[in-house]
Amino acid sequence: MEGASGAHHRDPFKSSVGRVAGQRRRQQAVTVGKERRESVVRAKRLRRADPSDHGDDGSMQLAVMGDEAAYKALEESTVNAVHNLKNLLKGSPAKRIGALQTLRHLLSCTAMPPVHVAIEAGVVTLLVDCLAFGSSEEQLFEAAWCLTNIASGDLQQTCAVEPALPLLILHLGEKSAVHVVEQCAWAIGNVAGDGEVLRDVLLKQGALHSLSRHLLSPVPSLSRTAAWALSNLIKGPSPKAAMELMKIEGMVDTLVSHVSKGEEDLVVEVAWVLVYVTSMSDFHVTLLLNAGLLPPLLGCLASSEQLSLLTPVLRTLGNIVAGDNSKTDVVLSVGQSLPGGIIGVLARCLESKHRTLQKEAAWAVSNIAAGSILQKHTVFNGGVVPPLLHLLATAVFDVRKESAYCLGNLCVAPKESREQGGIILEHLIALVDGGCLPGFIALVRSPDVEAARLGLQFLELVMRGLPNGRGPKIVEKEDGISALEELQFHENDELQTMSNTLIDRYFGEEYGLEEEYGPGMDVLRGSDDSSDYPPWRQGGGLTA
Amino acid sequence: MEEEKEKEEGNNAPKMGFAKWVAVRRKFAIDSPFFSAGNVERELLAKQISLEITEEEQFHIGRMEEEQIWQVHCPIVGCGTKLRGLGDLEAHYVSRHTATCSVCARMFPTTRLLNLHVSETHDSFFQAKVARNYPMYECLVEGCAGRFHTDMARLQHLVDKHRFPRSFHFHIKKHASQRQRQRYRTHRTPFPDNGHHQSKQSSMMSEKSAHKKATTGPTPSLSKGISEVQQAGTPEDGTGIMDCGSDLEMCMDVDELTTAVSRLSTIAKEADNTPSLVSFGHRRGHRMPFLSGQKNNPSGRSRGSSHGKQRQTSTVHQT
Repeated sequence: MEGASGAHHRDPFKSSVGRVAGQRRRQQAVTVGKERRESVVRAKRLRRADPSDHGDDGSMQLAVMGDEAAYKALEESTVNAVHNLKNLLKGSPAKRIGALQTLRHLLSCTAMPPVHVAIEAGVVTLLVDCLAFGSSEEQLFEAAWCLTNIASGDLQQTCAVEPALPLLILHLGEKSAVHVVEQCAWAIGNVAGDGEVLRDVLLKQGALHSLSRHLLSPVPSLSRTAAWALSNLIKGPSPKAAMELMKIEGMVDTLVSHVSKGEEDLVVEVAWVLVYVTSMSDFHVTLLLNAGLLPPLLGCLASSEQLSLLTPVLRTLGNIVAGDNSKTDVVLSVGQSLPGGIIGVLARCLESKHRTLQKEAAWAVSNIAAGSILQKHTVFNGGVVPPLLHLLATAVFDVRKESAYCLGNLCVAPKESREQGGIILEHLIALVDGGCLPGFIALVRSPDVEAARLGLQFLELVMRGLPNGRGPKIVEKEDGISALEELQFHENDELQTMSNTLIDRYFGEEYGLEEEYGPGMDVLRGSDDSSDYPPWRQGGGLTA
Repeated sequence: MEEEKEKEEGNNAPKMGFAKWVAVRRKFAIDSPFFSAGNVERELLAKQISLEITEEEQFHIGRMEEEQIWQVHCPIVGCGTKLRGLGDLEAHYVSRHTATCSVCARMFPTTRLLNLHVSETHDSFFQAKVARNYPMYECLVEGCAGRFHTDMARLQHLVDKHRFPRSFHFHIKKHASQRQRQRYRTHRTPFPDNGHHQSKQSSMMSEKSAHKKATTGPTPSLSKGISEVQQAGTPEDGTGIMDCGSDLEMCMDVDELTTAVSRLSTIAKEADNTPSLVSFGHRRGHRMPFLSGQKNNPSGRSRGSSHGKQRQTSTVHQT
């Protein structure tokens, strides 16, 4: 892939300016981001001016949402600025740029700028004119900034930006100034974040190729913005765009290279690109694995502390192991170089305090545990069972459900081998001894049909698999019978049938008679009692 | 979860089978609600409101760097932009002075667009081929192989296939003033001296007077091929629809035209000696010689091949 901007080398001074500037942006950005937590979630970024930029325009800063009067004044100023720009279109470039700047300030001084009034006043046509070829860098930059913020609004406002799209894309060319390119990419990213219709338009206009050229830019903020915009462009749900992206020559290697060597912020964006690609194209998963994606990917997962990075990396891994056994084998073998292997890394995620990481890590583990016997053994012996048991007992519902999938998958043999009636007894016994039953019985009681089914199926495994009739005994002890009975009158036929079947088969008339007369009594009454309650359930800490 | 109804082997299984646990891989679509929790967190973290780093701040940040910051003005005559440091100079040079049309000084974001502009606007050979019904107008979107007979047809393609708005203009045409139209009608002068392409004003007038209607007998005036009106004033002026299809009136035999063109010595497309890779400073590999008269000098390092052709035109014509 050709390098960006003529492939000349940046001075160290230039890149560190970018880095320091970027750091400052990030600090301020996170602060403001927290303030906006209540507002509608969007995949967009608003570009905002520095408050200290204009001492005289302190009034603009008052235009926060709560202050009606100030906001009205802001709207008026904006409309005036648009009219002013219109008048200056044919005037001197310097005056025009001044008008653009004024408009830009108005559109970027608050978190929710008065985009609607600007659009109504006809700003987009003017901005398109300002994007004509041959315009000065400053003019292009200001116009693109205005469009960026206009496109950060709701869907209707973003659609209004459509006439400007071809020019924005064309200005991504290799001869454009860096800050112009970045601003155009930003605007395009905002537009792409708003839905498949606009994404389609952008694709037809050639946005993908033009943006991907800048993935290799030596300017960190540019490569990051380009990656972010690309991730918005390919997020689908149609896989068309992702496929087109991966057809670009050198893309696989570029992505892998960034994951290996890029700064964390860049890796975050590239990881999201990978999330979409790995989800939509099995073929490219193979290509990426062959190109060496796994070691750096797993490395990130093992060492990063940043949730924003861990989320897409983990999900990428989850997508990879949701494929066939061979891919999972590759993952496991590559992961061996890490301490604890890939399973150890996933255990780390399970133990994180972030619910998303717990859930998606458990999902990944469940998929590995749905594979070959060898893969199941690797999971079982990889140290992930204790955190899973803990999660099953204590976590929020959807995490518990995923943990249940893991544990259950560990206990059943692959479809191909039907040993022992399809049950891996060693695992099952260990898990029951580890105290997983109460968690499954709780799932039986949950209102979610899928979860209840899982619980019932696991109980069936326990009661069928454990020798000497231990299964029903322990289910009874954990108050499982009442859970089953509750389902007997459930409106869902399937659940009703399943619970009835279990009750009939295991808690029928003969049940309980053995206690008094059966030969296995001593075994049943033996040392089982204490071992049914492992230390952690007696209040001790969990030793992982 | 996949469910298989299985009967237990050899047991008196109840009539309704129990769907036993089957371990199966579960894949989720990209927009599955399974991922929404993770997506929400991403959006919250991704709602970055970025600060503008003002020039001043950038300057101060730069000051803190080890390298000395020195102010310099761009040495290209007519530019004189204030720049700070080598990196800035490089970047400025690449963006301002390499994809600029040497005829009308418009700047383009890519080399390809510059070449298209030059061919379509300043190249009589291009117009000759158009007149012979070759599809010369290329689609502007990179990667698309479309070629069209007229600018309008190309625009239609952009609108239909690539969703460009109908109001999009690649070319800019300034409508001729009353006076200029008058002048062109009465003075059908042959193509005057071309040495002053830098001055846009004169450029426009010279083109205008050499508009296609001028016939000067058998001597081919290649300038007739130029059907577009060159823009006057600054390149950033407003937009007008470029309608070269209808403007094209070839009053002379196209064959004569092409013969004349073939008589020109071939000027390679790479007559523009601007290297694509430019670096500055004593540490760098090449040196890019700065010619102060660069922009103005038509005989030196011209950037558009058509410029060279036009220069040749005047020579041919004057003989």
